[in-house]
Amino acid sequence: MREYLLYLGCTTPVRLPSYEAATKAVLSKLGIRLLDFKDVTCCGAQYIESISPRAHIGLGGRILALAESQGKDVLAICGACSGSLKHSKHILDKDKGMRREVNSMLREEGLKYTGNVQVKHLLQVLRDDIGYEHIRKAVTRRYSGVRLAAHYGCHVTRPYDIVKVDDPENPRVIDEIIECIGATAVDYPDKTRCCGGPLLAMDEELAALIGADKIKNVRGVGAEGIVTACVFCDIHLSQIQIGDDEVPESRVPIITLPQLMGLAYGIDKESLGINLNRISPEGILGTLQEGVGQ
Amino acid sequence: MGMSTHAPTSDFAKEIARAPGGEAIYKCVQCGICTASCVVASVSEKYRPRELIQRILIGMREEVLTSVLPWLCVTCRMCTERCQEDVSPADIFHAVRYVAAREGHIPSVFSHAVDLVLQDGWMLESGYSDFIEDERDDLGLHTDLGWNNQFVRRIKEKYFEGGLTQ
Repeated sequence: MREYLLYLGCTTPVRLPSYEAATKAVLSKLGIRLLDFKDVTCCGAQYIESISPRAHIGLGGRILALAESQGKDVLAICGACSGSLKHSKHILDKDKGMRREVNSMLREEGLKYTGNVQVKHLLQVLRDDIGYEHIRKAVTRRYSGVRLAAHYGCHVTRPYDIVKVDDPENPRVIDEIIECIGATAVDYPDKTRCCGGPLLAMDEELAALIGADKIKNVRGVGAEGIVTACVFCDIHLSQIQIGDDEVPESRVPIITLPQLMGLAYGIDKESLGINLNRISPEGILGTLQEGVGQ
Repeated sequence: MGMSTHAPTSDFAKEIARAPGGEAIYKCVQCGICTASCVVASVSEKYRPRELIQRILIGMREEVLTSVLPWLCVTCRMCTERCQEDVSPADIFHAVRYVAAREGHIPSVFSHAVDLVLQDGWMLESGYSDFIEDERDDLGLHTDLGWNNQFVRRIKEKYFEGGLTQ
């Protein structure tokens, strides 16, 4: 059985624990064992990264070296964390000076980065380790007739040369999985555009405008839900729809990919934290066909 | 008839070219595909990545370093993927941030988040309430997140002593 250390990052365990729970439940169902990855720090994405590139690589380097010491690869489910850890690995693998600098800081803990560790985002594990066929065959309750829009998360798919997940301008993994479990994947304008989440702290108004554009585009093609694979995208796209001037009925449900998959595998709603979703995805759930497998 | 060439008003572009991420700035041909691809530019008239790079190239050091604009990039890297000259405005603006940070120009949301990480090892120590612990418990998740708050002391000592220097 393939094993990964699950790097949670700062935000998922506090702001979106349902994403963590659903990831564990679904991957366990599909034959991947996730191990707790404790004693780590923040990966340094966005904030440390913007002030000190070397401190950023230092934080990433220790996380990767700790994984190496346990002989396991790393799974990151947050877009920012997966991008950041892959970036740190990219630098450490090509810049010997930076590697020496990081290793000198790790020596007192008995850790050493040698490059013998991989970082994967959830989408890679689903497609490459499990595969679409297995994802399809494991279904016990297929969705039927529900139109869903995939949102990929910028740091999951770009820059391609470093993250190597999917075509950066036309990613397909989430769409393929939506189809595997019986739902209909729909395209929409500016699909690969950012959700606005990274701008939330700096400029809330612009962040909301960017998110609103995405919701408008998704609504415009009649999609009944947005499927995410990054904690920031999920939270931001939900949050911006919950305001005084929004009519609850017109809100587009946001659901994480493992939650969507888990329901098709017969995993109960409570274990997937469906009740914690800010916008009820009951409309999507209502299209599940009981007792219909592949 | 002599031909005059443009001379930048400072060596700012050279300085950015030496900072991590800024190396490719002289390859910019000012085509504007970055602005055309930019999600932030689509909602804000003041944010134009091509124009910001142009300001660096012509040497407007103080204006750029004290501006909020380089901090508005969401690093979605759509421009990076589309630039055929292999210029990454996102990385150039990171280089600008490093230089700006060295001179004390850091937006408070950034310095605040950095302080939290360097103190607690992660960003949401204060946000991790009993209520959320219960939520995790209900989901069958462990409630002791087990963050390491020691290594960040080394990071702080090495890279952040005497101000944000590296």
